[in-house]
Amino acid sequence: MYQFARFAVIRAALAVLTLVLVSFIVFSLMELVPGDCAERYIAFKASQGSVISAADVDAERVRLGLNQPYVQRWGIWIVNAFQGEFGDSCIQRLNISQLLGQKFWISLGLAMSALLLAYVIAIPVGIIAATSKNATLNNSLRLVSYLGLALPNFLLALMIMLFSTVVFGDSLTGLFSKEFRDAAWSWAKLRDFLGHAWLPVFILAWSATAFAIQTVRALMSDEVGKLYVTAAAARGVSGRQLLWRYPARHALGPIINSLGFDLNRIFNELPIVALILTLTEAGSLLIEALARSNDQQMAGAIIFMLTASIVGLNFVTDIILALTDPRVRRSILG
Amino acid sequence: MTRLLDVENLTLQFDTDEGRITAVDNVSFSLEAGEVMGLVGESGSGKSVTAKSLMKLNASNAHYSDDTKITLHLEDGPIDIMSLKNSKEMQVVRGGAISMIFQEPMASFAPAISIGDQMVEQLLIHTDMNSKKAKEVSIEMLDRVGISDASTRFKQFAFELSGGMRQRAMIAMALSTKPKLLIADEPTTALDVTIQAQVIDLMKDLVTEFGMGIIFITHDLGVIAQTADSVAVMYLGRVIEQGPVREVIRTPAHPYTQGLLAALPDLDNLDTPLKPIPGDIPSPLERPPGCVFNTRCPKVVGDVCSTVVPDFANMTEHHKAACHLYTQPQNGGSAK
Repeated sequence: MYQFARFAVIRAALAVLTLVLVSFIVFSLMELVPGDCAERYIAFKASQGSVISAADVDAERVRLGLNQPYVQRWGIWIVNAFQGEFGDSCIQRLNISQLLGQKFWISLGLAMSALLLAYVIAIPVGIIAATSKNATLNNSLRLVSYLGLALPNFLLALMIMLFSTVVFGDSLTGLFSKEFRDAAWSWAKLRDFLGHAWLPVFILAWSATAFAIQTVRALMSDEVGKLYVTAAAARGVSGRQLLWRYPARHALGPIINSLGFDLNRIFNELPIVALILTLTEAGSLLIEALARSNDQQMAGAIIFMLTASIVGLNFVTDIILALTDPRVRRSILG
Repeated sequence: MTRLLDVENLTLQFDTDEGRITAVDNVSFSLEAGEVMGLVGESGSGKSVTAKSLMKLNASNAHYSDDTKITLHLEDGPIDIMSLKNSKEMQVVRGGAISMIFQEPMASFAPAISIGDQMVEQLLIHTDMNSKKAKEVSIEMLDRVGISDASTRFKQFAFELSGGMRQRAMIAMALSTKPKLLIADEPTTALDVTIQAQVIDLMKDLVTEFGMGIIFITHDLGVIAQTADSVAVMYLGRVIEQGPVREVIRTPAHPYTQGLLAALPDLDNLDTPLKPIPGDIPSPLERPPGCVFNTRCPKVVGDVCSTVVPDFANMTEHHKAACHLYTQPQNGGSAK
């Protein structure tokens, strides 16, 4: 027990270290973009018609602390970042945490739901596909799965919107109905949210499921052919006991391992889907921040939070793996 | 002695993308209780497939011929193995009356399930023990095969044991249900020579103690000479020679068996060059017509070898070989 706690602490420390490293890279990238926050804001002001001098820019730099050395600024940024404090947005001059707060959790919720949905479907389907000898079933599963892989999410989103607009007269966009958008959370608002959220979750899960089915099927096919399965059959183990206790049980480890990777993929697809479904509450902020307004502070904060989610999930899967696989467990406990 | 197993006309084909290939061709043999039979041949000769047929353990693309008949004689009466339909019916021969141990002890234990759990599982399937009793019996068996500190080993996983220890555990598991027939598929090939000897001794002791039959599959004639009472030599899915082990090894009749024995290194005279059998075993997709060995045989007697499948000819009462050397009177009849 003590050793397991030690393992968890070490893994947690490693996760934090990863985050610190990532934050350094993110911060450096923010720094590499030509110009800084002061110039950007001043340029924005100038475009609004104000007359700005070079002295104003310098004053703004001092105000934002941009005249301090690079490493020191990174240090301050990272310490704040771990407390969920990312300073003000370059352009909007509003506190980023307040701007992002709820939106981030909604995005994470959408991505995690899509991940969950993908695996709830993929694990049984993948196992059946790997073990069934029914050629028709296998081929149709393969076809659906290739469709899922080949059909881009945004196209699927557009098709569903088009269909829904024509048939129901509702384009199914957004995450909240008008009346709830600025309302405080309530059961009615939650119901309204769930009524909207299923579509982005479905679209995000679409390709994730196809991908996960391929993963599960490949891993299962691998395990099914192994000698220990034949040996178990030779001992009289049969039917479901043979399937679940042997190959399925042993394919689980790599499947758990692939979760972090899949969350990453889903996050990557979220902004595009969010853009099309006009989910202002979700990932489209990132595109907004990066591409349109060049808002470094904002982009940095978003990337940091995304990375933190993925590192966090990987930490959880590491722990689950250690709990389920004796080989991993023994290698930790020594 | 009492008859334990009869295999008659075992013919087995696999459907593959390249077509239907014949893995085992008209193989017949029988085994007495308490007898150790060696099944010898190169890789690809069909010896493992033959062994797996006894438990109907071959892949689902396997087709047995209609005249294939495998009968296991138990105290409660004979079991016609080919007629067993589903996996529930087959439990009698899978881990019950027949147990099998494999070449790779590491790979034949499930890596994430403890050795004890796998042993208990088998006992729960085949006996009416409760899990407490099954655990006791398992630990007893581990102890019996010479594993020290058996109750600790019981909780461990295959990767935590040494190679020899794993194979002992495998033997303990295979014997825990007191099978009548043990199939050992190259059980010592993956082990060091010293460990090999220990494992073979252990198996010989256990045969005597449990009074069961063993089919010992190997490509190593040395191991067979030490272990087996009788031997069947297989080549490309056919038994080409069989008989009591001493007779077959001292006076091999089939040119293939002669070649196998000549290919063994001579430890008394290390300067003698090795004499491998020339050529490779042909692909099962291109089985030679006539005698399957005719493409590599140094003693071909004529066209008959590549056109007619040789029948068995008796060398002595129990020693027989399928070779035209002994079926063609014009070539001198019995070559011995």
